Amino acid sequence: MRDTIPPQARAQTGIPRGTRRRTPGGPIALLMLAPFLIAYLLFFVFPIGRAVQLSLTQSSLTETGPFVGLSNYVQLAGDPDFWASVLHTGQFALYTVIPVTLLGMLMALAVNRLVRARNFAQALFFLPFVLPVSVVTLLWQWILNSSFGLVHNLFGTDIAWFGEPATAMPMVALVTVWWTVGFNMLLFLAGLQNISREVYEAAQLDGAQGWTAFRTITWPLLWPVTTLVFTLQLIASLKIFAQVYILTGGGPFNSTQVVLQYMYNTAFQNLDAGYASAIAVAFFLIILLVSLVQAALLRGRS
Amino acid sequence: MTRITRLLTLGALLTGSALAQQPTKITFWNFLGGGDGARMKTLIDGYNASQKKYQVQQTVLQWGIPFYTKVRTSTSVGQAPDLISFHLSRISGWAPANLLRPITTQELSSVGLKQADFFPRLWNAASYQGKTYAVPLDTHPLVLYYNKDVARKAGLLDANGNLKPMNSVAQFTAALKAVKDKTGLAGLAMENHSTAYMPWRLWLTMVEQQGGSIVTNNKISAGEAGKKALTIMADWMKQGYMPKNSDYPSSVAQFTTGKTAFMINGVWEVPTMVDGRKTGKLPFDYGVAPLPKFFGNQDTWGDSHGFAIPNNARKPIPADRLAGVMDFIAYVQKNALTWAQGGHIPAYLPVVNSAKYTALKPNSDYAKVSAANVTYDPPGWYSGAAGPLEAVSIKYFPAAMAGQLSVDKAMSLFENEANRLMAGRPKP
Repeated sequence: MRDTIPPQARAQTGIPRGTRRRTPGGPIALLMLAPFLIAYLLFFVFPIGRAVQLSLTQSSLTETGPFVGLSNYVQLAGDPDFWASVLHTGQFALYTVIPVTLLGMLMALAVNRLVRARNFAQALFFLPFVLPVSVVTLLWQWILNSSFGLVHNLFGTDIAWFGEPATAMPMVALVTVWWTVGFNMLLFLAGLQNISREVYEAAQLDGAQGWTAFRTITWPLLWPVTTLVFTLQLIASLKIFAQVYILTGGGPFNSTQVVLQYMYNTAFQNLDAGYASAIAVAFFLIILLVSLVQAALLRGRS
Repeated sequence: MTRITRLLTLGALLTGSALAQQPTKITFWNFLGGGDGARMKTLIDGYNASQKKYQVQQTVLQWGIPFYTKVRTSTSVGQAPDLISFHLSRISGWAPANLLRPITTQELSSVGLKQADFFPRLWNAASYQGKTYAVPLDTHPLVLYYNKDVARKAGLLDANGNLKPMNSVAQFTAALKAVKDKTGLAGLAMENHSTAYMPWRLWLTMVEQQGGSIVTNNKISAGEAGKKALTIMADWMKQGYMPKNSDYPSSVAQFTTGKTAFMINGVWEVPTMVDGRKTGKLPFDYGVAPLPKFFGNQDTWGDSHGFAIPNNARKPIPADRLAGVMDFIAYVQKNALTWAQGGHIPAYLPVVNSAKYTALKPNSDYAKVSAANVTYDPPGWYSGAAGPLEAVSIKYFPAAMAGQLSVDKAMSLFENEANRLMAGRPKP
């Protein structure tokens, strides 16, 4: 444990250097940390450990069964449904992560230029994010209903947007982008407001305006926010469940079944908790890997 | 005795007598929402007001996987309620896992119930290997709703204004064609979007009517009968007899706004028709008939609500609460006329045979034929309401009807996935 009290402070407290490595606040700090620590161990570390343990057994939803070694993982490696669901999750991430990041930035740039209506526009774009997922999905189900929906009435289409393999996943992505982009816009707005006006003024004196100013000042200075938004969005997209569960149920014929839904169905519908745990652990590792690769790639830019 | 002890004794006596008057609380979890929920509340309130010994307290949960998961997990840790509502199609999955407490003949007769008072098919559905695991409350099969105005124009009604009998697929298809040719409307409204359960129910009906079976030795065995059934449904859609992509509310709206002549749906939509007529929102005269005999017999998919007692782990239900549960079940059976207004056919024959029920329209028009022919999902752990097998079917059957998959392809995908599912067992 490193001594973190700066020399000036130590002089004031009168603690001689080297006599007490532990600050008097140590036990108190631990005490104050305890509620979080206990919750963390109980609801985070313990369940992960249990999931790993369960994934090595043949268990039902309510009873832990016999130890079966790695056989769940062997089965998983050759399970076409699992790999298809990984693919669909990736597909969803592809459809959402970059659009939601870019759109968030564009909307922030646009809103930031407004003078009078800024708060109004900000609230307008942020509003969908306030809604619970059930409301969002219900809303879009009505809008896109093929026989009674708004789109049907406006354009005369009778496409079952959530029922055609070609349109189901893009539409789930569209709904998600609409729903979540407002939050990213806020993060970008905060980032934009952190860029000092003086930098722009100085650049303006050098003749840098418009696109040049954006390319040389805004974009680089926004990069930390961009990587943050991108990372948050990637993890959120990989964890997609509710929208798919409500909008398509994983259909038509499995074309939108994502990993978490496959895991949910395995555990709660097919009552196979052992195998579902193996799916969870494998997916945990996949997300970990993707995040590490992504972090390494983005770090290079900053 | 000091004054204080005297006061204390008096206090204890008073609380004691107050406690003695406290009714025994019966906890009851169910998944009954909407109109069903309102009618069950009426029954519970009526029961609680009718006597002082017991008080039933209900908790309403979301039906389907959420309900059954919660009951399953709470039963295995001994926290389940005294009484639950239950789909009889799930008995074969729950009884062998010891999740339900068997109900004995003596317990039933202690409140005046006996096997002979119930539709035989429903009673059988509530038992497993000779033991009774639930008391059937009702059955809710598919029925055929028809728009009398449209059907008359298409020449499908008899002199009394009722639907002429239809006894084959050919006759039913001809009726759909007549509707389209003579009125320009689509013939049949039925839920068929990409996550619809209705295709499974009609398919099961048609396979059973051909004398086929869905499952033999834990394998899908519908074969040619299964293909034939799915082909017929896909053809109706291809011919334009059935509006495409209908989700559940759309399918009901298509019928109630007069855009189709028929609707195949469960009896639970009867209140929509009855209320619609009362409030003038239903702009036509309607009828409800048992599902036609498309093939050799009139088997019709249906399910049942029943009452079951969770088998709480290491915590058997105490005798006084059990007595209350049985008493409440008997009360609901005897007052099932209230329940019947939801369209469900009561399982309890004295109610179905009563003059009051005969006067209940349109219920009595379909009740006896439908209940006598009701067919459940095949037995098995994977089976039953919102169970894994139904979940597999909804992936492929609607797609075949919509023309996204050929019938052969849909059937083989369905059989492969279902067989894979059924080969695994609930573990351990």
